Amino acid sequence: MATVTNWIEHLSAEKVQGAVYPGVGTEGILVLIAFVIWIGWTVISARQETEKLEKLARKRHGSNDWKNNVTDG
Amino acid sequence: MTDELGALTTIFTEFYYWITVVLMFLIHVGFCMYEVGASRYKHHQHTLMKNTMLIPLVTVTWFLFGWWIYWAFPTGPGLAPSIMNESAALITDDSTFSAKWYVPTSDLMAVNLGDHISGVFWAAFLLFSWTAASIVSGAVIERITTFAFGILAIAIGSVFWTIDAAWGWHFDGWMLKILGYHDAYASGVIHAVAGGFALGVLAVLGPRIGKFSSSGEPRNIGPRNPWLVTIGLFLIYTGFWGFYAACNIPIFNLGPEYGMEGVTYFTATNIYVTPTTLSGITMNFLMSLSGGLLAGYVISRGDPFWTYSSGLAGIICASAGNDLYHPIQSMIIGMIGVVIAYKLHYWVERKFKIDDAVGAVAVHGYAGFAGLVICGFVLNGYPSSGYSVGAMWDGSNYAAINPLGMFIGALIMFVVLGFIPGWILAKVLHGMGKLRIPREVELAGLDYEIMEAAKEDEKSVASASR
Repeated sequence: MATVTNWIEHLSAEKVQGAVYPGVGTEGILVLIAFVIWIGWTVISARQETEKLEKLARKRHGSNDWKNNVTDG
Repeated sequence: MTDELGALTTIFTEFYYWITVVLMFLIHVGFCMYEVGASRYKHHQHTLMKNTMLIPLVTVTWFLFGWWIYWAFPTGPGLAPSIMNESAALITDDSTFSAKWYVPTSDLMAVNLGDHISGVFWAAFLLFSWTAASIVSGAVIERITTFAFGILAIAIGSVFWTIDAAWGWHFDGWMLKILGYHDAYASGVIHAVAGGFALGVLAVLGPRIGKFSSSGEPRNIGPRNPWLVTIGLFLIYTGFWGFYAACNIPIFNLGPEYGMEGVTYFTATNIYVTPTTLSGITMNFLMSLSGGLLAGYVISRGDPFWTYSSGLAGIICASAGNDLYHPIQSMIIGMIGVVIAYKLHYWVERKFKIDDAVGAVAVHGYAGFAGLVICGFVLNGYPSSGYSVGAMWDGSNYAAINPLGMFIGALIMFVVLGFIPGWILAKVLHGMGKLRIPREVELAGLDYEIMEAAKEDEKSVASASR
């Protein structure tokens, strides 16, 4: 996984390789993972929000009811 | 980097953009404070979360495709040939500034010892993206779902603003060549497009419950915490310094860049690689801020909310030409922008029942649009680029700045890439039933359950004996 194992050898090479992160060459897989995280997060958070909003809507609170929940700090 | 002077220039440029990113972070802090201060108590936490979550959503999508769009689309595609490869196709070849280097799998999109600039430049543009999305965020508070806002934030932050930046805020952009478009500090490419997008969304989203009486008269829902609004706007002003600096290239030798044999001319440049000075734009920034504040105070009769917002609107209106204006011109243009924005805000509110909760469409959209049009007159005849000078519509050279080109450019920003996409996306989300929160939730307050839980926690703590 390590791209660099010896800095002296790395920096004294005739052509210094710029990319030094672990797993150079696996960028495609990393990008795929990022896409899955993004889409997955969107799906999960949307589902959570819908449930929360539906539950609150069913209770039919009045527009001033929230004042009963004001804490004294 | 093997020679000391070259290394110093590179490291200075890297650090310069890094500092602008840190400063611009304050814009987002300011927007968050401002929105929370403007929202009602029962919606505070949801309002904050909505604006906060655009940070990761726009950042991840900016990494995945937003940055690529900027480098791929300057030609349209199909509207004007690139000066790099003389093709009007998407720029994805081996050119120096090709989008090929900025696909998310590129090794330049990571720690790379051979490239000190791409990452900080990417980040500076990303912070512009957050700003574009955050402008929309303020307008829609208290009734939009976080899901819908997330989709809209990605659309404006990682797609539409970056297309307009490629077209009109890039040294190779087709709008410079065909129209003579000039927008040095983003009156249009950030502010008009985000304002237009917000207006498109608002037209579908509708007003907050109670905003208009049964006869259609608008009611004032003023900021609940004016001090938070004040600090928020001051922070946005502060972050704007970083924004201005980030729009410049700090040091550039224009002699070889323009192909002038034997000429060496080091200077700061704007994003179009035409010369300006950080010193001069600092004067213009402050004078346009002052013009905005002066006009806002008078036209709103000392209303703090509008006066602070007007400072911002003043800068936004003068921004298109603040690389070249005289400071007094900047001040006057800032004043004109504020009057237009303020008057249009209330006219649109009454006429079309648009509830723009924080005046975002006015401050960013109308002031930005006006700034572009004014720039076309004041800078009429200036070259839009240093590379060449040609006629309008030609496309093979760069047209000079002119009123008609700037007016068309303003329409492209506000309507074509702003209002229309915002309206269509909001329509789609509305059709899915995902755009607006249920009426019962809007009345109860988005934070109802959080507040209820906090009250229960407090009760149990208060009843404890030890």
